[in-house]
Amino acid sequence: MKDKKSDPEKTSPLRGIQVLDLADEKASFCSKLLADLGARVIKVERPGGDALRNNGPFWKDTPHLGRSLSFWFNNTNKLGITLDIEKRAGREIFLRLLKKADVLIETFAPGYLTQVGLGFQVLCRINPGIILASVTGFGQTGPQSAYKSCDLIAAAMGGQMYVTGDPSQPPLKLYGEQSYYTASLVAVISILLALRRRNMTGRGEQIDISMQEAVASTLEHVMISYFHDHVIAERQGSLFWNREFCMVRCKDGFMLVTLFQHWETLVGWMDSEGMAEDLMDDSWKDEAYRLEQLDHVIDVVNAWTSTHTTHELFELSQLMRFPWAPIQSPKDVLESPQLKARGFLGSVEYPQNGKRIPFPNLPFRYSSLELKSPGRAPLIGEHNAQILQGELGLSDIEIVHLRSKGVI
Amino acid sequence: MNEILNGIRVVDLTRVLAGPYTTRILADFGAEVIKVQSNKSATGAEVNTSAYFSGWNRNKRSITLDLSHPEARELFLKLTAISNIVIENFSPRVMANWGLQYQSLKTVNPDLIMISMSAMGQTGPWKDSVAFGPTIQALSGLTYLTSFDKDAPLGPGYAYGDIVAGLYAVIAILAALETRDRDGNGQYIDLSEYEALSGLMGPALMDVAVNQREVLPQGNGPCYLPAAPHGCYRCSGRDKWCAIAVFTDEEWQALKGVMGNPEWAEQERFSELSSRQTHAQELDALLGQWTVKHDPKGLMQILQEAGVPAGVVQSSEDLAQDPQLRARRYFIRRKDAGPGLTTADAFPAIFNGARTGRWKAAPLLGEDNHYVFVELLGLEENELRSYMERGIIG
Repeated sequence: MKDKKSDPEKTSPLRGIQVLDLADEKASFCSKLLADLGARVIKVERPGGDALRNNGPFWKDTPHLGRSLSFWFNNTNKLGITLDIEKRAGREIFLRLLKKADVLIETFAPGYLTQVGLGFQVLCRINPGIILASVTGFGQTGPQSAYKSCDLIAAAMGGQMYVTGDPSQPPLKLYGEQSYYTASLVAVISILLALRRRNMTGRGEQIDISMQEAVASTLEHVMISYFHDHVIAERQGSLFWNREFCMVRCKDGFMLVTLFQHWETLVGWMDSEGMAEDLMDDSWKDEAYRLEQLDHVIDVVNAWTSTHTTHELFELSQLMRFPWAPIQSPKDVLESPQLKARGFLGSVEYPQNGKRIPFPNLPFRYSSLELKSPGRAPLIGEHNAQILQGELGLSDIEIVHLRSKGVI
Repeated sequence: MNEILNGIRVVDLTRVLAGPYTTRILADFGAEVIKVQSNKSATGAEVNTSAYFSGWNRNKRSITLDLSHPEARELFLKLTAISNIVIENFSPRVMANWGLQYQSLKTVNPDLIMISMSAMGQTGPWKDSVAFGPTIQALSGLTYLTSFDKDAPLGPGYAYGDIVAGLYAVIAILAALETRDRDGNGQYIDLSEYEALSGLMGPALMDVAVNQREVLPQGNGPCYLPAAPHGCYRCSGRDKWCAIAVFTDEEWQALKGVMGNPEWAEQERFSELSSRQTHAQELDALLGQWTVKHDPKGLMQILQEAGVPAGVVQSSEDLAQDPQLRARRYFIRRKDAGPGLTTADAFPAIFNGARTGRWKAAPLLGEDNHYVFVELLGLEENELRSYMERGIIG
């Protein structure tokens, strides 16, 4: 599939949906996904620019508000304005924008919006169809709703860290800001559901998302084992919880392998290279015995895989229908022939010099709908004139005045 | 209450986790999900009475159809004709081999939404690869980066990738429904789980590409937003830990205050965030000597009250007893009889103050054959019997 350019024949799934984005890092990814799906997203930054612009990594490793790669990742395809909603004039402009919006996304501490005069009741009076999606650490209600959170705290409180890592080491957080991404994916689903209900009822909705719950909802076997078998899942190192997968060493890295599916094919393969040691013995055909002597099995397999490259093993194992794969580094992912063939990596342009850098697209394609290729994240206040003057009709003098008061 | 997806019928061919998680969310919100199983396929994670199955297949119906049989495929097409969504997670060639690819299904139902959620996507040199959640995690870079050391990859302790793919699939479907409602168009969706998870490595991929550097595992260090201390600290008790993250000077002062302003914390090298980051290892060790004297829950409480982001590293048992999750009714109970789980997580969002707690037990194998084939498709009782005797429905 080639890198898609805008096709005038096709329309985007969320064409016509207007989103106001007040989110910080917790849900920037949510509005970014809505933008990729074709919604018109206006990111409202505080005057001077969003604090997220200070987050690394940076282009050329130079910290600069216009060079944050994580900011770009979370803000492609958005429009950007600056506005201080704590000031009265800023709030008035905000409410005018809200009138035309379908969705408002925010991540302030519970109660903050009400405190600055923008509670859901107020928003509803101005726009009864508004969908307000709030993403916070622990949700809008409950004894810990005022607790502070972040990617790490959500990973801890949501149960992800306790089961990730090695038993001999501290619990481990997943790489990247996965708590934010998970909460954002949940928020997009919730917003799409609310839009569908609004199509039927005409009424807006208040959506309350807790990062702790979003993380806990990813736990797969962990809560099932607890509620059904009263087993508390623990960290398993490089061995998968159900013993179906483990990681072994190769000449050039590591490989994820299975030890129990297709046992006879596996030991036959090892034996053909003279590396099966005693594993061809009949006693090993018994799965229970293998589980009991797992360390020995892993040792022998490890000695064999160490004589191969990950590439060799990936190719041969897949021919035999083993679900094996190399433990790829980000560089391997960038160079993946599969991702390249599907045009998964689009590109986004540097604002400074027009050069393009690789950027992940959405992970799905529609037969007859257009998804937006990533357009770069907005510069600070880039669309102030277009939106505040062009759409709200503020005059030059009003803009100068607002700027001097620090509202925009 | 009228559920959001009432009136949407989903034909569900998916198995194990990613696909069933997708359709669980659709069913939680009122879609009629008809899971197509067969006596042959109902093994492993697809044994209807197992806890694992009952967790992912609540609120669904089950029919049995042996699709290797041409007459079963005709029944499948009839069901497709009266449904809105078809979802499958086979390897790309399977549906085509049965003649059940989108092009054929579209002829019986022009505004059908069909989604294929395979490991790699429907195209590309690796399209036929065999992969489960952990395989995808390995390929995406997440396993490599989730570790303390690049020479000892660890990765998530469960099949996170399948859940991520499931969430993306729901988004793809709901966005297609939005379009269908607007202009009546059906849609085929090709989702790749490999892409779903690789996409969440975005900033790391961009960093490698732009700065030509190796991106290495960060352990529990902050990925993008600078913080120190930022990690997981041992507490009193067996395998008890508390996560602490200090982003601002205010939070650092508050943390020192809670510790009783110990002398070590006043050292020059810990005074500024950037310098605390440089000396993160020593800082972590010193902080750990303090945390280990405390119970993690009490520690979290005093730190949070002082304004320091802190959280217990919670086990499944902690989660089940968590007062916050309880107050928000995050875990729901099933009231009807039936095998499998009776307590599980609800969808993690609250709409207008209400939690969707819909939970009808996962179906038994073929439990809804009569409903679907006789009541919906209008077969005669003796026709149903004949199909069953010949193993077409079975």
